[in-house]
Amino acid sequence: MTAEAPPAATRPARPRGSPWGIAALLVFAAITWWAASEEFGIGFDVIQLATNLTRGSQIIGEFFPPNWEYLPRTYGPMLETFKMAVIASALGCGIALFISFLASRVTTPNPPTYLVSRSVLNVIRALPDLLYALIFVAAVGVGPLPGILALFFFNVGVVVKLLSETIDGVDTGPIEAARATGANRTQTVRWAVVPQVLPNYVAYSLYVFELNIRASAVIGIVGAGGIGNNINTERRFFNYDNLSVILIEIFLFVVVIELISIWLRRRLV
Amino acid sequence: MTAVARAAPARPPRPSTRNRWLATTAVLALVVWAMATAEIDLERIASLPEGIGLLFYRMFLETGPEWSYLPDAVQGMLQSIQIAWIGTIIGAVISLPLGLLGARNVSGILGSNVMRQILNAIRAVPEVILAVVVFIPMVGIGGAASAYAGTLAIGVHSIGTLGKLTAEVVEGIDPGPVEAARAAGGNTVQEQRWGVIPQVMPDIIAFWLYRFEINIRASAILGVVGAGGIGTSLEQAMTFSRFPRAGVIIIVIIVATILVDTASGWLRRRIIEGGAGRVEEVEITGMSSPLRMDGDAG
Repeated sequence: MTAEAPPAATRPARPRGSPWGIAALLVFAAITWWAASEEFGIGFDVIQLATNLTRGSQIIGEFFPPNWEYLPRTYGPMLETFKMAVIASALGCGIALFISFLASRVTTPNPPTYLVSRSVLNVIRALPDLLYALIFVAAVGVGPLPGILALFFFNVGVVVKLLSETIDGVDTGPIEAARATGANRTQTVRWAVVPQVLPNYVAYSLYVFELNIRASAVIGIVGAGGIGNNINTERRFFNYDNLSVILIEIFLFVVVIELISIWLRRRLV
Repeated sequence: MTAVARAAPARPPRPSTRNRWLATTAVLALVVWAMATAEIDLERIASLPEGIGLLFYRMFLETGPEWSYLPDAVQGMLQSIQIAWIGTIIGAVISLPLGLLGARNVSGILGSNVMRQILNAIRAVPEVILAVVVFIPMVGIGGAASAYAGTLAIGVHSIGTLGKLTAEVVEGIDPGPVEAARAAGGNTVQEQRWGVIPQVMPDIIAFWLYRFEINIRASAILGVVGAGGIGTSLEQAMTFSRFPRAGVIIIVIIVATILVDTASGWLRRRIIEGGAGRVEEVEITGMSSPLRMDGDAG
């Protein structure tokens, strides 16, 4: 065998840009132009933004100093917000646990049931929390009740989506084992699936609770109870120093709840 | 040697369920307390199904939805989509550098912590609140100004959420290409451009699309507080009790949202699956990220 020198490595050809990539860029540019244009879209304009920013800094200036004398008047609504979040999370997560099993192929092999629950889920998820609040305020009047209902639907949407996807990904071994011992459908779910997804379910529930604190601050703006009511009133009268108290309070509340929730999740999962 | 019978292995003790029971009891107590003190009349709860049923009847059944309003509703929805689109772009463009700075392997422990806290603070304020207290007073209400306020609110909020996710993805990269870029004489910017960006871009673009889906919902509600888009029409229809019109608007919102979700979801899957050899990583982010992202749907 003769030792032949290997040929010098030629530089590989540059990969060609995919036509899909170029097409995607063009579509992106077209949509952006359409959305930003004065004629068809929202008339977005960077120069105008700069003028507005100076005005914005003026308004933000009015937030300071916060009017701390207003603080005691927010305790009641803040507590209401907290209660609304607790009730809506409990009800929403409770119902969602059952619906999730219907919305996963693993636990619901029956196509019609699965498809129906998936479609219902998609419709529920398509409406945002504030729209639910608006609808329920129209249906049952103002107060915490429409707020709880709005949060409830919002929670069911989020938890069922996350949990059904978790159920889709469970280890099927225990399911087979349960079936091999003669378990029926309910028993299989109870002993083979629930234990696998329970930590995730608890994590999702805590997470939804966090969301609710933030969301309930928002839905109050349309009359659905809690601290949002105060935001609405104060902004009507341009009381920016009171608004900044509310904002600081919500911010701290959200951060504290988040810290507790993260700590709990870490212990549980 | 005598054959000693080995003791049958003892059954392991049942794991303690004390903590679980404590936690369950605490949660139940909290819920019961909230329900007992929430000042909700039982009478109103009893009249709930009737109230909701009546509203549904008025919206969709009594005279049927007001289909003549459909073109206006579609117009409003398109504006909401435009607000979401531009808002997402603002968020994406600004969050990319901020997200890089928020990653420990790019800007060090101190720098990344500071940036993360800034992003967290931005994230903590919902779009609606941003619109109501900052951007609507800033640019005013009515016509183009409303849409403008909504766009800015969505853009700023998206900076927080997208920046956080970007930072997390960047922290998960393979350090090899970055070292290679450095070994080849690349400066800091070149390291990011050639060592980091190509690795993280598929995930980040998927996040952007996901954020767009969430922002559509957000922009649909921003109109309720006067920040442009379809929410304004819905709010007015509700205020003036024009329920058949509200019915049409709700149908348009649901259909448009599902359509955009489907298109965007398809695109996201294509983008993520397009990067061969990244499947495991994607599964990991896929597990945790919807959690954090949906988070800001509210």
